[in-house]
Amino acid sequence: MRQVLEGSHAISEAVRLAKVQVVAGYPITPQTHIIEAISQHCADGSLKARFIPVESEHSSMAAVVGAAATGVRTFTATSSHGLALMHEMLHWASAARLPIVMGEVNRALGPGWNIWTDQSDSLSQRDTGWIQLYCEDGQDALDTTLIAFRLAETVNLPAMVVIDAFYVSHTFEPVDVPEQETVDRFLPPLAPRFRIDVDHPQALYPMVGPAFFMEMRHSIQDGMAAAGPAFDAIADEFESVFGRRYSAVETVGCQDADLVLVTTGSVTSTARLVVAQQRQQGKRVGLCKIKQFRPFPAETIRAVLGPAPRVAVIDRNVSFGSGGIFAREIQGALCPLDQRPAVYSYIAGLGGRDITPETIAEVLRLAEETPVPEAESRWVGLNPEIKP
Amino acid sequence: MIASLRPTLLFPVTRTSTEANCTGSWRFVRPVYRFKTAPCSAACPAGIDIPTVEMLASRGQAHDAWAHICRENPFPAVCGRVCFHPCEDACNRAELDAPIAINALERYIGDAGLMAHSPLATPEVAPLQRQVAIVGAGPAGLAAGYFLTQLGMAAEIFESAEEPGGVLRWGIPSYRLPKSVLAAEITRIEKAGVGIHCGRAITPESLNELAARYDAVLVGAGLAATLRLNISGEASIVDGLAFLKQVQTGSAPVVSGEVAVIGGGNTAIDVARTLLRQGARPTIVYRRRRQDMPAFGHEIAAAEAEGVRIVELMAPVSAAADGDGVRLEVQPMTAAEVGSDGRVRAVPAKQALQAMRFNAVFSGIGAEVAEPWHRPADEAGTIRLSHCVIRCAPRAMGYIGDPVTAENSVAHAIGSGKQAAIALHALFSEGPEAVVPAVARCRVGAGPALSLEVYLDGERSRRNGRVVTFADINTDYFPRAERCTIPALTPAAAASGFEEAVATLDSREALAEAARCFNCGICNDCDNCRIFCPEQTIRVGEGGRSVDLDYCKGCGICTVECPRCAMDMEEESA
Repeated sequence: MRQVLEGSHAISEAVRLAKVQVVAGYPITPQTHIIEAISQHCADGSLKARFIPVESEHSSMAAVVGAAATGVRTFTATSSHGLALMHEMLHWASAARLPIVMGEVNRALGPGWNIWTDQSDSLSQRDTGWIQLYCEDGQDALDTTLIAFRLAETVNLPAMVVIDAFYVSHTFEPVDVPEQETVDRFLPPLAPRFRIDVDHPQALYPMVGPAFFMEMRHSIQDGMAAAGPAFDAIADEFESVFGRRYSAVETVGCQDADLVLVTTGSVTSTARLVVAQQRQQGKRVGLCKIKQFRPFPAETIRAVLGPAPRVAVIDRNVSFGSGGIFAREIQGALCPLDQRPAVYSYIAGLGGRDITPETIAEVLRLAEETPVPEAESRWVGLNPEIKP
Repeated sequence: MIASLRPTLLFPVTRTSTEANCTGSWRFVRPVYRFKTAPCSAACPAGIDIPTVEMLASRGQAHDAWAHICRENPFPAVCGRVCFHPCEDACNRAELDAPIAINALERYIGDAGLMAHSPLATPEVAPLQRQVAIVGAGPAGLAAGYFLTQLGMAAEIFESAEEPGGVLRWGIPSYRLPKSVLAAEITRIEKAGVGIHCGRAITPESLNELAARYDAVLVGAGLAATLRLNISGEASIVDGLAFLKQVQTGSAPVVSGEVAVIGGGNTAIDVARTLLRQGARPTIVYRRRRQDMPAFGHEIAAAEAEGVRIVELMAPVSAAADGDGVRLEVQPMTAAEVGSDGRVRAVPAKQALQAMRFNAVFSGIGAEVAEPWHRPADEAGTIRLSHCVIRCAPRAMGYIGDPVTAENSVAHAIGSGKQAAIALHALFSEGPEAVVPAVARCRVGAGPALSLEVYLDGERSRRNGRVVTFADINTDYFPRAERCTIPALTPAAAASGFEEAVATLDSREALAEAARCFNCGICNDCDNCRIFCPEQTIRVGEGGRSVDLDYCKGCGICTVECPRCAMDMEEESA
C-alpha cells in the first residue's frame, strides 16, 4: 500500500515487516526517528521483538551482537558520532559472522558541530567487514532494508543500509509498503547456521593465534566475495516478488556517453534531472549510481565505466590527504584496464551543503573543460568569501 | 539457488569448558566477606545489632526484627519511647541526608512484638545451676535477670515498691511511657523465667541473707534519693522525683498557677511537663546556660513547645514560704571557663540577688543512692567494668545501673545488667580470671556497647570491629530519601493531658524508613557482588556468600560495588 512516509520510517516499516526479533537502540539525530518508530511497533505489538534501550551506541551494537549470536534476527540504527563510537563492535559483528542489519543515516562528524548529511561517518567504517548499501530515496531505503536482511543472512556478514540525513531521512515521499505475506515470501524466518545453545554448550570466539587468524580473516573476504553475486541473485528474486529492480551499480545512458557522472545516495535523484536535461541539449552524458560500496563492485565498474572516455565522480566525503573516496575506489577498480577513462574527482555537499542542479552542471562543465584530470580532488562550490 | 551462494564460515568455537583455565592463579589480591561494625550499633549502650534489625524491618519481617532486638535488649517498646538514641547521632546516613529514625523504628518493632504477644526466646545455653538474687526491679535489675536466664542461670529480683519498673514506672511520666507498655514488657521477662518479688525491701541484714542463700547478688537499687539543694528554706521546696511518683500513684497534690522547677536535667523537664499537664504554668530555673542543660535536646524542645518557660543563669540561693506560695531568691550567674568535668561553669554575676514568687517550687536536680550500700565500696578484689562493678570473692557480688554507670540512661542500665550477667557467667563457668577478657571480647566496635550474641559466639562474633564510616559507603546506590516524620500530637494537645505525645510509625512509614538504612558493614543480600562479578565467581549457599577462588582474578569490582562495606580486598600471602 502506498503511504506518505519519511525515509526513516521507510526503514522502520521494513524492520517491522522483516519480523526482527531483537532491536537495540540509542537516539542520535538524524537517526532517532527510525528506532523511535520501531520502539512504538514493539510497544503496540505490531512487531514482536525485544527492544533493548541502551546507554550508548557501543552498547547497542554489543547488545545486538549478543542477541544475534543466539540465532535471532537483529537490527539497530545509528548515525555519525554514534557510528564512530560503535567502531570496535563493528569489527566484532563481522568477524563473528553475525547477520546484523543496521540503519545508518549519513551525517558529518564534529567539530564543526553539524547534524547534516555527508558520508564521512559510514565511509570511515569502510574496513570493518560490513556490507554497505546506499539508498537514493524512501522506497529504496525500505526495499534495501529487506534485501539487506536476506543478503546478510546469506553470507553471514552484517549489513549497513545507508541513507542521507534529512534529504532522505526526514523527507516525506510516497512509499509502497508491501503486505506482510509478500514480504514473508521474500524473506523467510532466519535459519541460523550457528547459535549459542544452552543445550549444546560451546564458547564462541575464543582466542585465535597467528596459526589460524589469517584463515579466519580470509573467510571474511570470501564472504564479501560471495556477497556480490548474492546481492545480484537476491535483487532478481526481489524484483520477481515486488516488481522493483535494484542493482549494485545502476546506469543511465552510459553506453554511448562521452562523460559518465558517478553519484551515490540522494544526489543521484538531482543528477538524473541534470543528465536528462543535458541529453536533451545533445550532450552525451551518462549517469552511474553506485549502490553497493562494500563489497565494491569492481568488475561491474570496469564493465560500465571502462568504455567511457571520461568519468566525473561526485564524492560527498573526503579522505584527507587522499581525496574523494568513491573516486579513489573507482580509479583503483579501473587500474587493471589497458584503456582507462580519465577520472575526475569532485568533492561537494559536505556537512549538508545542498548539491543543486547547478552544482552538478558545474561538475560536468569542469570535467568537459579539463583535458587531463588534476591529481588532487577538486572541491566544488567553496565560497570564495570565506578565507582561513 | 541463493542458498548455494553461502560462503563457508570459519571462526573459532570451543567446546572445552573454560573451567580448565583457573584464572584464579592470576590473582594477587582476593575479596573476602568481612562484615564490620555499624557506627549505630557501636554507639548503642544496649549493644543492639541495628543494621540487621533495620534490614529485617525493611523486608517486612517485623517479628524477626523484634526477636533480633530482644537478643540484646528485652525492652524494645520501652526504649523505642524513652531512649536518648545515641545511635542516631552516629548514623552514617546523616552525611547523605538525615539519620535513620532508629528510635522510632525500635518503637514500631517493639509495639509489633507486644501486639503479637511474642514470648522472649528460650536460652540456648546449657543450664549453669546457679542462682542469682537481684536487688531492685529497675531497668538494670530486670535486664540482668533476663540476661542471666538467657545464660542458663536462675534470677530472682527483690523490689521494695509494690510494682516493678523502678525509674521507668515512677520517674518517667506516662505521656512518654504508658505504663501498660512497661507492664507488658516486664511481664514478658517474668514469663521468660525471671522471678520478681515486689514489696520486698532489702536491708543490709537481708542482703547478707541473700548473699548466703544465692550464688551471687546484684545490687541495682538505682538512685532513689533526691539530691538536696543545700539552700536555706529547702523545706518549702517539693521533691520533684517524689512528686512524679505521686502522680503515678494518683496521690499528687493539686498544683496550679506559676510554679518553678529547679534543675536542668531530664528530671526537671519531666517534672515541668507533668506540672504543665496538671494545669500549672511551670518555669525551669537553671543555674547554667540553656545549652549546658544535661537534659536530652529533644526533651527540652518538646517542653518549650508545650509552653514550659526556661530561665537560664539563675542559681537559687534561698527559699521561703510566702503566704500560700514560695519566695525564691536567685543569684544571677554568668558563664565562666570550662570546668574539670568539661562543662562550662557558671559563676555569680556582679548583680544583686533577685526575688521570684511562685505558687510552688519543685526540685529536679538529680538523685543519689538512698543507702550507702547501694554503691560498691572500694574493697580489694573489686573489678570495675565499663557498665558494672563485680566482686568475685568471698561471695560473688555485683553493682549495676545508675550508681555505677558513666551515664544514667535506660540503655546504659540495660547494658549494665547485660555486662553483669556476662561477668557472672564467665566467673561461674571459667573462674575470676575469665571475667575481664570475657567482657572485653563482647564489646561492639570500640564503643560502650556489649553484645550477648558475641559472647555466645553467634554470627556477630565473626564481625570485624572496624566501624564503618560514611566514606566506606558506595553512595551511588543510595538516592536521597526523606527521613520519616514521626507522628506526634500538637504541643497544645500533648500538654492538655497524659496521653502519649508521640505516636508509633505505621508499617508503611516504618518499612520506608528502614529501607533508608545503609545496613553498614553487613550483607543484606543485595547481590551486587554476584551481579557485577565478571567471572561469575560469587556463590550463594547455605552459609551465605563465598568467592570461588579458582576463578576469581581479584579485580575487586565486587568490593567496590558492595554498597555497604561488607567486603574487603586482601593481599594474597605469597
